[in-house]
Amino acid sequence: MKFADIIALAWRNLRQAKLRTSLTVIGVIVGVAAIVTMVSFGLGLQNNLLRDALARIDLFTSITVMGPGADAMLAMQDRTTNSSGAENGGDASSEEKSDGDAHAQPEATPTPVRMLDDAAIAELQSINGVRYVLPNFSFANYVRFEGRTRRAFISGAPQSIEYNPRFKKFLAGRHFSGEDAREVVVTERFISWVRSKKRINGDRRRKPGGPFQMAPTRSEEERAREANGILGKEIILLTLREQDAAPSSVFGIPIINVSSNENGEPPSEFGEQYEERAYRIVGVLKAEDGFDINNFMETDMFVPLDQAKEFRDANRDPMSRIGELLAGDTGYQNAEVRVADVSQVESVKEEIKKRGFRAWSLTNQVEEVRRVFLIVNSALALIGGISLLVASFGISNTMIMSIRERTREIGVMKAIGGSDGEIMRIFFVESSLIGLTGGAMGVIGGWGIDRVANTLANRWILKQVGQAIRHIEFFSIPWYLYSGAILFAIVVSLIAAIYPAMRAAKVDPIKALRYE
Amino acid sequence: MAILEARNVTREYRMKAETVRALSEVTVVVDCGEFMAILGTSGSGKSTLLNLFGGLDRPTSGEILYDGQSLAPLSSREMSRYRLRRVGMIFQSFNLIPTMTARENVSLALAFAGLSKNERRGRSMELLDRVGLSQRAGHLPSELSGGEQQRVSIARAIANEPQVLLADEPTGNLDSSRAAEVMGVLDEMRRRDGKTIVLVTHDQELADEFATRVIRLKDGRVITD
Repeated sequence: MKFADIIALAWRNLRQAKLRTSLTVIGVIVGVAAIVTMVSFGLGLQNNLLRDALARIDLFTSITVMGPGADAMLAMQDRTTNSSGAENGGDASSEEKSDGDAHAQPEATPTPVRMLDDAAIAELQSINGVRYVLPNFSFANYVRFEGRTRRAFISGAPQSIEYNPRFKKFLAGRHFSGEDAREVVVTERFISWVRSKKRINGDRRRKPGGPFQMAPTRSEEERAREANGILGKEIILLTLREQDAAPSSVFGIPIINVSSNENGEPPSEFGEQYEERAYRIVGVLKAEDGFDINNFMETDMFVPLDQAKEFRDANRDPMSRIGELLAGDTGYQNAEVRVADVSQVESVKEEIKKRGFRAWSLTNQVEEVRRVFLIVNSALALIGGISLLVASFGISNTMIMSIRERTREIGVMKAIGGSDGEIMRIFFVESSLIGLTGGAMGVIGGWGIDRVANTLANRWILKQVGQAIRHIEFFSIPWYLYSGAILFAIVVSLIAAIYPAMRAAKVDPIKALRYE
Repeated sequence: MAILEARNVTREYRMKAETVRALSEVTVVVDCGEFMAILGTSGSGKSTLLNLFGGLDRPTSGEILYDGQSLAPLSSREMSRYRLRRVGMIFQSFNLIPTMTARENVSLALAFAGLSKNERRGRSMELLDRVGLSQRAGHLPSELSGGEQQRVSIARAIANEPQVLLADEPTGNLDSSRAAEVMGVLDEMRRRDGKTIVLVTHDQELADEFATRVIRLKDGRVITD
């Protein structure tokens, strides 16, 4: 018998008992919908955390490479001293986040023995698998904007921003026009300070909400309007006027004598002690959805990298200066190494360490999170699977009932030449049709439940927060979940049909056809 | 020339503790093209013999031969091919599938032989035409008279052109005029197409009228040949 005929026969048999078949199929639908809903929720959680929230800032392809501070440099020169204690004192004055990173795991890796200078950056760049290396250069500096003065955290940014995810999204404006341009790119963190009327160290007030709610709560148009409003405005960076005649240099670049006012501005009221440098705001970086990267990094604005070097040098506290005088050039504080693929992070990190730098990345933590989610998703699938197990008993029951009813028919089929195998196949096809129909409808049902639940959840969050926030996708149904759930339903149906089909094949035609 | 042969065939059934012997060392030879009637009362073992010939059952001892070949070594799958190609069975209670039309019932036998849907369409009509039922092709068995149903089952039995037709009390459920109709169809199969007919019946008259040879069974033994 041709397979198409078996399918036609099986379909016909199912249609003979519509109610019974429908009820059995409903059982499968419920089971499959339960699995799909459960697993899609687990995957949704995973995506929200790993893909949307964390991966947007490309946390997992990044390796942070630390250079030695002045004290570590001194320790290296003076090999008799233990350097671990001295390290904390290194750049104590510049309490940037990047320095905090260095403290995050102080003992895990040995003290770097190499200086993170431009040559080192170039060397890191040449390691196989590295997409780019960004020297990180940040410092604190007093800024004046619209008559208010505060301490801001400023980072140096290179002119080439092609690969840097931090510079992907401008809310308004553009990047610096050149290395020498007196231009800054501010972050939304800076804007929130501008907005606040408090004259304190920025707006550190945390917005309410859970893990999904660190994104700005105002609409994008509103934010863009605000951002456009400050474009082109002037911002003044204040530095201490150099007292000593001897200008220091950074990486061999002599610091420009800033007292000769290039912009032709009148000398400021702080003329004697302070240097004022006027910059123009040319761009506003958009805060990331999910986690606000700029808040996270505690950076208010970016200036061209070379100029940042000058500023940092000018803003050094006396301790650091002495340290540097003793140790010589300390290079960059740290650098961000971007790896092309997550799988390469570990090997690149090892290679960097081998070359004498201190490096760390978040990959281990990601693996840990993935493992946890695998367990969670398996548990969810198991719970959903129980309802499909119940449905499989329904399938077995339906098949056995159907065989009892059709014993005579089976006997006839055997008498006219049907083989045991063909009889079995008819019943296997019948049950897999139940599985296929139930699976397909169950997947649609699961999708429907997800959509409704997602809408309700978003509405509920909106009600709780009272503001328009980003629409959150709580569920994720990848293609393999669709096809996998249907396939699983078919497999379960086939397993449920093993006993009934064997029973059908064993029907004794003489008994079945005996005249009653 | 012998087409079917039972050699020293014994068939016993286990009924709980006791063993019932339905056939006891029966030897019967059916020649090609003959119309053999097997007469006997109920319980004489005549249906058992027919089922053995039909490949639905296997003997406890002895062997069944078709065209000189023993059926004993055939696998279950080969046995089903034997039922499909070599013999056609006709039953007292017709055994049509009640949810299928006359044509679908005939078609089913063709489907087991692997014919495509198109081939089946023409062939099933041709077969129904041969039993004079082409007008009733679309009817369900419940819409047909007993005689018509039996003729559909004959059409089904000859669907894959077997050499032998095995009929178990084919007129048992029919009145005499319908019975004559059905017997006429069987007789025509033998005369025109050269089929071999083995008819199991308890009706002496019917046997005398159509059979070319009559054997009698009693208590599982052949008493006259």
